[in-house]
Amino acid sequence: MKPVIEVKDLVREFSTRGRPTKTAVGGISFDVRQGEIFGLLGPNGAGKTTTIKMLSTLLIPTSGSARVLGYDIDDDRTVMELRKRINVVSGGDRGLYYRLSAKQNLEFFADLYGIPKREQPEMCQKLLGMVGLLKAADIKVEDFSRGMKQRLHIARALVNDPELLFMDEPTIGLDPEISRSVRSMIRDLSGSGKTIILTTHYMYEAEELCDRMVILSKGRIVGRGTVGEIKDMVSDSSVIHIVTDRDPSEALGGFVSDPDMTVVSSRTVGGRYDTRFASASGKTDIRSHEDMFRPFGIRLIGLDEPTLEDAYIRLTGGDE
Amino acid sequence: MSARAVSAGFKQQAVQFFADPQWIIPSLISPFLLSMVMIFLSSGGTSIEGPVVLQAVLGGGVLGMWANSLFSSSTSVSFDRINGTFEPMLGSGTRIIYVLIGRSLWSTLIGLLNAFIVFAIAEVMFGAGLNVQNPLLFFLALLMAMLSLSSVGLLISTLFVLTRKGGTISSVLEYPIYVMSGALVPISMLPAWMQPASLALAPTWGVDAIKYSALEGYGGMLGMSLITDVLMCVALSIVFIFSAYVVMLYVERKVLIDGTATRY
Repeated sequence: MKPVIEVKDLVREFSTRGRPTKTAVGGISFDVRQGEIFGLLGPNGAGKTTTIKMLSTLLIPTSGSARVLGYDIDDDRTVMELRKRINVVSGGDRGLYYRLSAKQNLEFFADLYGIPKREQPEMCQKLLGMVGLLKAADIKVEDFSRGMKQRLHIARALVNDPELLFMDEPTIGLDPEISRSVRSMIRDLSGSGKTIILTTHYMYEAEELCDRMVILSKGRIVGRGTVGEIKDMVSDSSVIHIVTDRDPSEALGGFVSDPDMTVVSSRTVGGRYDTRFASASGKTDIRSHEDMFRPFGIRLIGLDEPTLEDAYIRLTGGDE
Repeated sequence: MSARAVSAGFKQQAVQFFADPQWIIPSLISPFLLSMVMIFLSSGGTSIEGPVVLQAVLGGGVLGMWANSLFSSSTSVSFDRINGTFEPMLGSGTRIIYVLIGRSLWSTLIGLLNAFIVFAIAEVMFGAGLNVQNPLLFFLALLMAMLSLSSVGLLISTLFVLTRKGGTISSVLEYPIYVMSGALVPISMLPAWMQPASLALAPTWGVDAIKYSALEGYGGMLGMSLITDVLMCVALSIVFIFSAYVVMLYVERKVLIDGTATRY
């Protein structure tokens, strides 16, 4: 299948007077096939948003090339045609006219995309219904909750019925229920044939939605493939899962100087401390760890298969 | 497509205007107050009448139109930057200049309204003696002057794509352009070095046309005829609009290179 996005050695640097040039994206290459949900994963500052902005023609690359739907993203002669066929969903509170209603926001952008006036009432009805905002159609956006704004962002990005949709952290800051409904929308959009480029740093979201993905770290691709393929990239490592009664930070501190060990996650669950850490060299000597964690009251200790999150932490070096 | 974007810009600005009552302050109240100050100053603290006061009334009306146009042009892009809507607009496949033209047309309408309010109050409350010989010509001259002011505002608005200092720049520009247009005092009273710049401004010719239509026995700026005023005003307005289009193409590309479209 012919790719809808072809990226080759794409670089984006930012220069500010008096400061050293910062490389946000340092020569990445990948392709995206028609109809897939393609993930751009990475910690903050990895270059996800910069990549999306370049591919959606909102930022000009410093070097390298990319073709989106067959158009060169840096060709002034065709950029307007390309923009008509794509759209971007940004996360956050900005990007909407607060003094206008949900419907007026959609109508304004529909006008910019040249959607005929006679089609707009039905289109607004359909899109607002799809994102569950039909009853709020005439309410000003300033009175919307964060979740409602996010859903309106999605509706706004669909006014031109884009073939390709860029979604930049669409669930960031949303409560679990709204996040779930947004993920469900993303699946439905993919089911309707749209190609979706999704950035996220929520691993469960990527695992649930993405057909393929690249993992970015400091502007470079450190992993690529399906969820299974990415997990396989760290199959040589083992993940030790341990639950203790007391905070084991003191014991984990010993890993800082050990390049072989990476703390994958450390969280409190039901008043207990749930810790997962990986050994790059595949050491599975549970007994030595048992001795180390015993003073903290071990409730559970064992070996886990690497998850996508484990692979992500290993590949990005835990630089979040 | 471009006509749709112009209409969208006009409609959006109108809805925004009525949705946010604060816009009335810079668009109507502030120019009105300034005009009243000018009228009182021109009256010399005594009666409000005579040709000098009439000129002040016209000047006040023009100031109202210009303040409105400048405010609208500076805020229209700055507002989108702050609001985070500049980038979605940029990515919509429509030239932003068309949206800005639509917004400028709305500000033209409000500017005209402002001018009429100033004239009406000067006439009704102060009996300023605004004896318009030809109301149709007066209205057309006002409309032409307002469109020319909007064309200058449009060109200035393109610069706000590059800068976040919209408020500062518009404050700095408000009075020089007003003075140079001859609305405050005849341009023959301006320093010789400033006069060529005055003549290069489309509103200067529009303001002169207003004076032709409103002041009995008016002899014209530097002896120019009314038809010269009209031709120059239209021609220079077109030059300003075309320049705005070209500058906008440049600044749109520049923000994409610099990555500053989302800074605010």
